[in-house]
Amino acid sequence: MTILWFLFKEGFKGLIRSKYSGVFSIFIITISIMILGFGYVAARDTLFMVENIRAQFDVDIFIKQTASNEDIASFEKKLTQMEEIEHLVYISPEEAAVKFKNEFGEDIFDILDYNPLPPSFTIRLKTIYRNLISVEAIANIIQSDPIVDEVKYRKNFLIILEKYQRIILFSVLGIFAVLTLISITLTSNSIKMTIFARQDIISTMKLIGATNLFVKTPFVIEGTLEGGIGALLASLIIYGFFYVQNTYLQSFFDYRIVVSYRFYIGLFVLGTFMGLVGSKRAIKKFLD
Amino acid sequence: MISFINVKCTFHKNAGVKNLNFSIDDGEFVFLTGPSGAGKSTLLRLIYMDLFPEKGKVLVRDFDSASIKDREIPFLRRKVGMIFQDYQLLKDRNVYQNVALALYASHYRTREIKSRVYSILNQVGLGHRVHHKPLELSGGEQQRVAIARALVKEPIVLLADEPTGNLDPRVSLELINLLNKINKKGTAVIVATHNYSLIPRVPGARLIQMNEGEVTSIT
Ligand SMILES: Nc1ncnc2c1ncn2[C@@H]1O[C@H](COP(=O)(O)OP(=O)(O)OP(=O)(O)O)[C@@H](O)[C@H]1O
Ligand SMILES: [Mg+2]
Repeated sequence: MTILWFLFKEGFKGLIRSKYSGVFSIFIITISIMILGFGYVAARDTLFMVENIRAQFDVDIFIKQTASNEDIASFEKKLTQMEEIEHLVYISPEEAAVKFKNEFGEDIFDILDYNPLPPSFTIRLKTIYRNLISVEAIANIIQSDPIVDEVKYRKNFLIILEKYQRIILFSVLGIFAVLTLISITLTSNSIKMTIFARQDIISTMKLIGATNLFVKTPFVIEGTLEGGIGALLASLIIYGFFYVQNTYLQSFFDYRIVVSYRFYIGLFVLGTFMGLVGSKRAIKKFLD
Repeated sequence: MISFINVKCTFHKNAGVKNLNFSIDDGEFVFLTGPSGAGKSTLLRLIYMDLFPEKGKVLVRDFDSASIKDREIPFLRRKVGMIFQDYQLLKDRNVYQNVALALYASHYRTREIKSRVYSILNQVGLGHRVHHKPLELSGGEQQRVAIARALVKEPIVLLADEPTGNLDPRVSLELINLLNKINKKGTAVIVATHNYSLIPRVPGARLIQMNEGEVTSIT
């Protein structure tokens, strides 16, 4: 107990004693956490937008002209029982004709003297099934029903969407990993300056019989505190920025940024982690 | 308690120590003398295992330089007190904190730390300077803080490398008297010095003379 309290006090005093290099470490962590925080929200909202676009993805099922009304009714029942389907709309040939007129501005009966438009269903899949693999599988199942003439959906739309989603996701993850590494390295270097300025403590401690753990712990506590403080500062700045955007700038950018308290906890954990790993790496060099 | 068995430890260009064979017993007072570069500091560093022999071995109680593990070295250092010509005190901590540090590092409890630190500071005559920083003290006082720090964990031996190097003759004498007093209480003391005038001040002390890395005479 005595020793834990002592080591914690040492770490805290070290933070106060280190002045410039301590402030520098905090500064670096603040900047990194800010970039990561803003980057996270930007990436999250971009992916959210992509998801919104995906939400407008529909599958059209065209029924054979020869199908009777009873067949269509029982087929509709079958569709409603499929758990992949979020909701469905039946479009009769008459409704299709109206839609055709609305879309192309021409009455189908002016061109042909009968209605060639088949009855159809437009279905919307649940979110988790709105991907290429699931859509293809579901389309195949539906296609296998003898009443179905054709299942149509925008395959290319899905392919492109998924490609971009992957690109965004992987580049974001890559940038995050690289940024985290860079910040840990910078933090570690700046903590090394702190330690360098207080090498006398390390050599003295070792001379009087301190274990490496005892020598190391105050510096690691100091680094972790710096990480936590850096993260808190970054959180405050990010919070302030979001607050200003949501309250005063709504009229310029019609966009509300919403983050939960978990986002800030995440930033805090990340900053603390950077300080911890950074200082552990820094002190290693001084303990042989 | 301390044995050197055929010890050789050299740096590049063959400077260092070699053919060291001797033992020091509990409670002895030993002067280690010889010209500059004779190997006195090297010998002391071998005792607190800051250096390791390339040949032979050094034994300190149960610690064997040939088999000691890195993580056991702190435990050896808690049995061996050290003081240096430049004192090696932490300038941003006061006298109390400098001495207490040794006990914190040896995992003592707070209450015990307090009583031990005050008692040792009184013994070295610094009871009234507890809250001063090292740079507010004279050289002799700083050296006594270093002694207090070395003694507070009750080592079996106190190593002093040129402890009077920066002190005037009168203060040097006081210091030797203090070391003598400590020795009388049972702690072995090894003083490396080229200040030969100190030797007669400790009647009955052993004398190890060195030159060019070897022991030339031993009493
Ligand atoms: N770290 C080192 N690297 C290289 N050579 C060293 C090192 N330490 C000591 N030496 C050499 O080993 C020899 C013995 O040095 P040592 O410091 O033990 O002498 P000393 O008797 O303590 O001298 P002094 O009275 O000046 O303190 C010297 O020739 C010195 O140059
Ligand atoms: Mg020397």
